[in-house]
Amino acid sequence: MRSLISEIVRNRELIWALALKELRVRYKRSALGFLWALLNPLLTMLILTVVFSTVMRLQIDHYAIFLLSVLLPWTLFSQSLAYGVESIVGNGELLKKVYIAKSVFPIAAVLSNVINFFFSLIPLVILLPLMRFPFHWTWIYLPVPLLGLVLFALGCSFFLAMANVFFRDVAHILQVVLSAWFYVSPIIYSLDFVPARYRFFFRLNPMLYLLNGFRLSIYYGLLPSLQSAAASLGCGALGLVLGYAIFRRYQDTLVFYV
Amino acid sequence: MSRGRAASRPARLCFENVVQRFRLIRERPDTLREVFTRVFRHSSHYHDFEALKGVSFEIVDGEMVGIVGRNGSGKSTTLKIIAGVYRPTSGVVTVSGKVAALIELGAGFHPDLTGRENIVLNGLLMGLSKREIRAREERILNFAELGEFIDSPIKQYSSGMILRLGFSIAMEVDPDILLIDEILAVGDVAFQQKCLARIDDFRRRKTIVYVSHSATSVRQLCDRALLLHEGVLLADGPPDEVLAAYGEILHQPVGAT
Repeated sequence: MRSLISEIVRNRELIWALALKELRVRYKRSALGFLWALLNPLLTMLILTVVFSTVMRLQIDHYAIFLLSVLLPWTLFSQSLAYGVESIVGNGELLKKVYIAKSVFPIAAVLSNVINFFFSLIPLVILLPLMRFPFHWTWIYLPVPLLGLVLFALGCSFFLAMANVFFRDVAHILQVVLSAWFYVSPIIYSLDFVPARYRFFFRLNPMLYLLNGFRLSIYYGLLPSLQSAAASLGCGALGLVLGYAIFRRYQDTLVFYV
Repeated sequence: MSRGRAASRPARLCFENVVQRFRLIRERPDTLREVFTRVFRHSSHYHDFEALKGVSFEIVDGEMVGIVGRNGSGKSTTLKIIAGVYRPTSGVVTVSGKVAALIELGAGFHPDLTGRENIVLNGLLMGLSKREIRAREERILNFAELGEFIDSPIKQYSSGMILRLGFSIAMEVDPDILLIDEILAVGDVAFQQKCLARIDDFRRRKTIVYVSHSATSVRQLCDRALLLHEGVLLADGPPDEVLAAYGEILHQPVGAT
């Protein structure tokens, strides 16, 4: 873990430049440019709200805020993985020619989505007064669940980036896994909606703990219990340690397979 | 012999019995399905191939060494080991100082970014800091002579322009060891002359490893030459002698040693 931190410190300028490049390329040559970072989650929210609040009549007050409070962090997570999984393979030609610390690519993929996440908070902040929803002071707690989520996304990205070098199926499998993961995670609903006898299975999902703090502080205006906070950070730390250990184990051989 | 003259200077680069083995996959099991079918059939899908079979040499500070050999003899593998891209299977490699490679220039360029944006990104990839890049940007722009194109996306550049920009950045990295892999074949004569002048200036102070098929340029530029053949170092000495040995090998059919 110490080697990861020293790699990050040594390559901080490169990681930052790669993350900005990622964003710049994502929005370049589109007429609305950076606005898409704001519009995308808003439009997804609109669709889901129409479906679940208006059509399916889910009885939740201010459903749009209920949804958006975890949809934005979920988007951060799923996009980080989607970019992370391609980060090594996509830079394969470069890695074959120049020596670069391989960890910079998955890290930059996650970082670019963290930046994107901060932009996507803007529509939420605008929406709150429009919907006459209170701006809770518990927002100040957000850095904690954000840290847990980012660490977890980083660990997953390390693992996926590596696995995709050896088996290109991984990128395809990930798409399916992410869409299934979206529905089994408490995003469009909350855990209370799940019948009691199935809840045990839902408790095995790390997303439950990672997303919990976001909804509590944005929607309910509550602080999570100490256990809940520890569970979120614990999931993040464990994910990163496991993911990075696998990445480190194979990082010297991957250049022969990209 | 150049080695005797050089013996007093410190070694920049040292290969001791370096072996680089590749797992040559006949048909890459790129997908999980292929892995499963392989496991069930118990068929072996690879064989090992040694690109370098125990190579030892030393290059001292300030030398310009040419590496010659036929295609597949291990020249590029040697450069990639020096650059740190490959970690050798066995043997000891000692490199002291910063290495920069003029191997396929522009490898780190992104087609959608402008020349200016790519200078920063490429410089960072080559190990410069932001501040160092900013300080050198003027010189890079002058050398590359791209004019107003510098603020257009790279995908609108001609291959010669990309080469010029890549070369200019690589030279400004100011490494202790410069690796050159047959890049001067591209670009127009005027730019080639400019590059050669730049390399000539560079070699007065630093160490260069130069891979080329052109006997003339090795004879002109290098103090010493190495001959690689099927992963074995066959000759190491003054360019004239080594090139003569290379000439003999060139007329053998492949695989007859």
